[in-house]
Amino acid sequence: MILVLSDAGLEKGQLPIHAALATGAIHHHLGRLALRPRVNLVVETGYARDAHQMAVLFGVGATAVYPYLAYQVLADMHRTGELTGNPADARENYRKGMQKGLYKILSKMGISTLASYRGSQLFEAVGLHSEVMEMCFTGMASRIEGAGFAEIQMQQALQARDAWLPRKGISQGGLVKYVHGKEYHAYNPDVVMTLQEAVQQGDYQKWKKFARLVNERPVATIRDLLALKPAAEPLPLDEVEPVESMLPRFDSAGMSLGALSPEAHEALAQAMNEAGGRSNSGEGGEDPARYGTIRSSKIKQIASGRFGVTPAYLVNAEVLQIKVAQGAKPGEGGQLPGGKVNDLIARLRYSVPGVTLISPPPHHDIYSIEDLAQLIFDLKQVNPDAQVSVKLVSEPGIGTIATGVAKAYADLITVSGYDGGTAASPLTSIKHAGSPWELGLPEVHQALRINGLRDKIRLQTDGGLKTGLDVVKAAILGAESFGFGTAPMVALGCKYLRICHLNNCATGVATQHQYLRDEHFRGTVDMVKHYFRFIAEEVRELMALLGVRKLTDLIGRTDLLEVIEGQTSAQRRLDLTPLLENDHVPAEAPQFCQVERNMPHDPGAKSREVLDALSDAIEARSGGEFSFTITNCDRSVAALTSGAIAKRYGEEGLEGAPITARFTGVAGQSFGVWNARGLHLHLEGDANDYVGKGMNGGSITIVPPRASTFESHKTAIVGNTCLYGATGGKLFAAGQAGERFAVRNSGAHAVIEGAGDHCCEYMTGGLVAVLGETGVNFGAGMTGGFAYVLDEDRTFVDKYNHELVEIHRINTEAMEAYRRHLREVIAEYVAATDSARGHAILEDFSDFIRHFWLVKPKAASLNGLLAESRRRPE
Amino acid sequence: MANRLSNDFQFIDVGRQDPQKKEARTRAKEFAEIYEPYRPQEAASQAHRCLHCGNPYCEWKCPVHNYIPNWLKLVSEGNILEAAELSHQTNSLPEVCGRVCPQDRLCEGDCTLNDGFGAVTIGSVEKYITDTAFAMGWRPDMSQVTWTDKKVAVIGAGPAGLGCADILARSGVKPVVYDRYPEIGGLLTFGIPEFKLEKHVMERRRAVFEEMGIEFRLNTDIGSDVTIEALLEEYDAVFMGMGTYKYMQGGFPGEDLPGVHKALDYLIANVNHCLGFEKDLADYVSLEGQRVVVLGGGDTAMDCNRTAIRQGAASVSCAYRRDEDNMPGSKREVKNAREEGVDFLFNRQPVAVVGEERVEGVKVVRTRLGEPDENGRQRPEVVPGSEEILPADAVVIAFGFQPTDIDWLAPNSIAVDERGRIKTSEEAAFAFQTSNEKIFAGGDMVRGSDLVVTAVYEGRQAAEGILDYLGV
Repeated sequence: MILVLSDAGLEKGQLPIHAALATGAIHHHLGRLALRPRVNLVVETGYARDAHQMAVLFGVGATAVYPYLAYQVLADMHRTGELTGNPADARENYRKGMQKGLYKILSKMGISTLASYRGSQLFEAVGLHSEVMEMCFTGMASRIEGAGFAEIQMQQALQARDAWLPRKGISQGGLVKYVHGKEYHAYNPDVVMTLQEAVQQGDYQKWKKFARLVNERPVATIRDLLALKPAAEPLPLDEVEPVESMLPRFDSAGMSLGALSPEAHEALAQAMNEAGGRSNSGEGGEDPARYGTIRSSKIKQIASGRFGVTPAYLVNAEVLQIKVAQGAKPGEGGQLPGGKVNDLIARLRYSVPGVTLISPPPHHDIYSIEDLAQLIFDLKQVNPDAQVSVKLVSEPGIGTIATGVAKAYADLITVSGYDGGTAASPLTSIKHAGSPWELGLPEVHQALRINGLRDKIRLQTDGGLKTGLDVVKAAILGAESFGFGTAPMVALGCKYLRICHLNNCATGVATQHQYLRDEHFRGTVDMVKHYFRFIAEEVRELMALLGVRKLTDLIGRTDLLEVIEGQTSAQRRLDLTPLLENDHVPAEAPQFCQVERNMPHDPGAKSREVLDALSDAIEARSGGEFSFTITNCDRSVAALTSGAIAKRYGEEGLEGAPITARFTGVAGQSFGVWNARGLHLHLEGDANDYVGKGMNGGSITIVPPRASTFESHKTAIVGNTCLYGATGGKLFAAGQAGERFAVRNSGAHAVIEGAGDHCCEYMTGGLVAVLGETGVNFGAGMTGGFAYVLDEDRTFVDKYNHELVEIHRINTEAMEAYRRHLREVIAEYVAATDSARGHAILEDFSDFIRHFWLVKPKAASLNGLLAESRRRPE
Repeated sequence: MANRLSNDFQFIDVGRQDPQKKEARTRAKEFAEIYEPYRPQEAASQAHRCLHCGNPYCEWKCPVHNYIPNWLKLVSEGNILEAAELSHQTNSLPEVCGRVCPQDRLCEGDCTLNDGFGAVTIGSVEKYITDTAFAMGWRPDMSQVTWTDKKVAVIGAGPAGLGCADILARSGVKPVVYDRYPEIGGLLTFGIPEFKLEKHVMERRRAVFEEMGIEFRLNTDIGSDVTIEALLEEYDAVFMGMGTYKYMQGGFPGEDLPGVHKALDYLIANVNHCLGFEKDLADYVSLEGQRVVVLGGGDTAMDCNRTAIRQGAASVSCAYRRDEDNMPGSKREVKNAREEGVDFLFNRQPVAVVGEERVEGVKVVRTRLGEPDENGRQRPEVVPGSEEILPADAVVIAFGFQPTDIDWLAPNSIAVDERGRIKTSEEAAFAFQTSNEKIFAGGDMVRGSDLVVTAVYEGRQAAEGILDYLGV
């Protein structure tokens, strides 16, 4: 049976019910009657126009959606001449756009088909009363109550009044871009201009004008409904801790080099370093020329794209931040349009100029909290001096996740709120994804205290922080450290043009265009320093008002906040008391971190043993060969050594004086992770997951135990996610690899004898030769490098992902260079591993050659590939 | 769509290009607009320079908050009729504002590109849109309007009154506009010289307004020809937009000497002379062959300077008490005036007009800029012993204007403030309602003399207030 819900054909006097409410209510009602599977719910509505609105309807139970208003808008755009061309094409393009948008939303939630997404309710309701939730969205997360049916009806009535009034035309809106008198924008022209005036002139009085504009804005965030309760007797200002001791609590949020111009990125880094805070490199790597200078970012980010994450990058950091997700666009990675990928950016990211770089939604090495713990351990091995931070998105259940993160030995958690910047994000993410930090931060703070973990870990929040008042409220809700993204960028001259994706930023902040950078970037280090000093100064004044001397004394003091009455009837029905309550928390539980480091349980003894043995050879650059045994409890082996090499010799490592370390046994996870140049690992035995992850140089050779009788090309020798994010080096593994081999490889050269699914996904450089069977989805999102695949049973055509790569035979006359190259590749592999399979192929090369495929990005030319691989021999 | 402009770097690749300006020598002799219109390609190419900022600073700064980036996009796509529709959504007189607004300190001044790239030529495009649309036969779309039985009297056919009448008519409320002058426009017609705004622009606008259903009763003075009581009796509401005509005195000796002229009287007489509205030949003031000193630094002063040049004055000097950067007038007009031969004397404060029988000169002192006042503008301070006399045959005083005294305000309980301005509030339940609930007011007579565009804005807002008040 097909049930059609429609809000078309409304007449004066009628009020529509929002399509999501109606759909949800019917979906649940039918479900309770056990009738839902017998009904198809078709929603004909004007409420759904974009992908998010569609996703909501599907998510609350719609079978199909007919967005009639969207089609009417298209027709009207044709009428006015805004659209030209065939209207049918426009409608088709619209549907195509919706389709892609929905794919994106589904994939962010790890769901592959619409059927699985339908009725899944993977949303959080913010600001709906429980009477609405119970009837329409039973079971969906909702934390702070809000509008009930009465308020919803009133809003509808107000809208209907204007809608039917002939003299009121269609409103200009202003949802996406600022329009005077319409939707409030937190970075509206007044805010931007006064902030810039204050920091350019270094004038604290002007800052106060800016702070007033922000702190007294119409209610735009949850924190605007929380007010400070001044002490009966304020403190004299000089009794409050000084600005200097507050500045180390301020970080700039991750903004990559690539998104920002080098000038802006460096100015930000230098300003934070001079002020005593920390800047965050973002996920685009950093020019090694900046390492060790005042322009180096103290926080280095490790994101899902792993762009430029090399051993040298990792050891040049005080904090290593794992960006699990970003508050403004949870579930999505960074997106750098090809126009911004110039030679410098491509070099630092080990990618190809002009090619758009989209970081994958997940980290391919994190599928569980144990995986995250492993990554944290990897990082602590490669750079034992750094704190490891984990950036999480404020969402329901973040408290539980944070507890896990603390137990995984992270040193710092960032709770990232939705109202940050990221102008190069999809609009539906900017507007509809993520949740306020005001909800996530107290949840994390409370969960950590309940579980006795708050004293082990630092807590930071970011997301739209602008003024000292924001900092004070965040501290009260549980944070001891604060991240700022957009604000320091505005301080550097960004005018919130929201054209960051076009590479034409007229302020030179978010562009790689040489002329704009040279002539129009006017930001200075002092502007940023003024910004942070002014915030600290404002924080001090507010602390004096509250009667608090030290910032740490503010943390968790929710008694200093009171809920104020909302400005609208819907706001007045919000219930913010859960944010301020600490009912289940032991009163004596610490409120902030009490330790320097959250030390892992595993001391990494084997790594220590290896480094001790090698350290003289490293120091003396004397090279040599060393032998060790290894067991599967020994994780991240040799990362400590790679880190030490990178620290001593930078990216170049020990290229001139290579060291070989021979192991026998079974390696634990992350064997050879972040391997440095000049370090050659040889393992007789086999290895677990993450072999060669992030390796930058040297080599890893893995051969089966001499006594092994298995056929190597039918036997696994390394686990999943090997070579993920590798930037160079060679991996020879005489056996099959697991799933996700060489994902995000951007320079490593690998030969294996078989691979699981998703091999070479998102690859941007390097070479992979698979001398055996592969799984499905080979080469998805691959934009650089190339691969050889031996396909004896002729199934590869159906296994590779056809979107971005193409395959070629190499037995044709024109491909002679490739045949020769492949032969060299296999010969080198055989020399290293003595693989029986390799020998067999070489001996019968002219027969095997017809089974090989060359896999290359469609955009790359056949002629250029080999030259490219020789230019970068690793 | 294929041949539409699509260049994210247009703002770099194509520089700012104002419309062609006539040569100074030619224009100094005629009362005609000095800019040539854009050709369609020029307009599209210039409009395409807009960056479409997330924060449209132009729109933010514009007193009527025109949807500037949106209509620039339409122009770059060659969609003039839609651009005209959109432009009229926020402005009743876009072709006038495009000509007379000081864009260099409003939209173009705040344009993101006005930082080394050259601002988008917003004013010229605005003018181009409506001029072109009218030439194509476009008229405001009144097809959706249902006329109510309400009617409103609008006193004053200046920018405020016209803005008000425009909104009223589009909302189905009949506006009847009264003005004491023989043509609509108020100062647009009689104050602003033709080299900035040719009179056919207002004539065309009058025809358009009349087609829309706005009725004009001209040559009618409220108070003498028709009483306010009669209006209140006949109409559902009354809007007052009568401007500020009372001239502000300098308060120094010699202001009454023959040869000293009030700026507005001088400008109005010249327009009347040019348009043939002159009632008495003696009203016309010709400064031909005279040495003229204009006192003041605003746009009115510039109008007087340039009118005197065109009348064939022997010399024209403009004395202003602050420096050039602190002049309130549009930089563009200063530049035009200078090109046409006006001599600027900055940091000169007049202390007296000297002369026996008639003007012989202006005594000025030099000034320097001191501490900022409460509005943040630096106060001029007199440099002791710096007096000098500028020889002059004629002096034009352009110090600003105040509301005219009207004797029927008090009897109708319309409250005014200490400077004679009508008291209203934009934030009141009914915007711009006076203390007499049936009477609304806007424009210069509420805020003191200000820009054309702010008067338009207030007239339009007041119309919304009237509509709310009438329950339409």
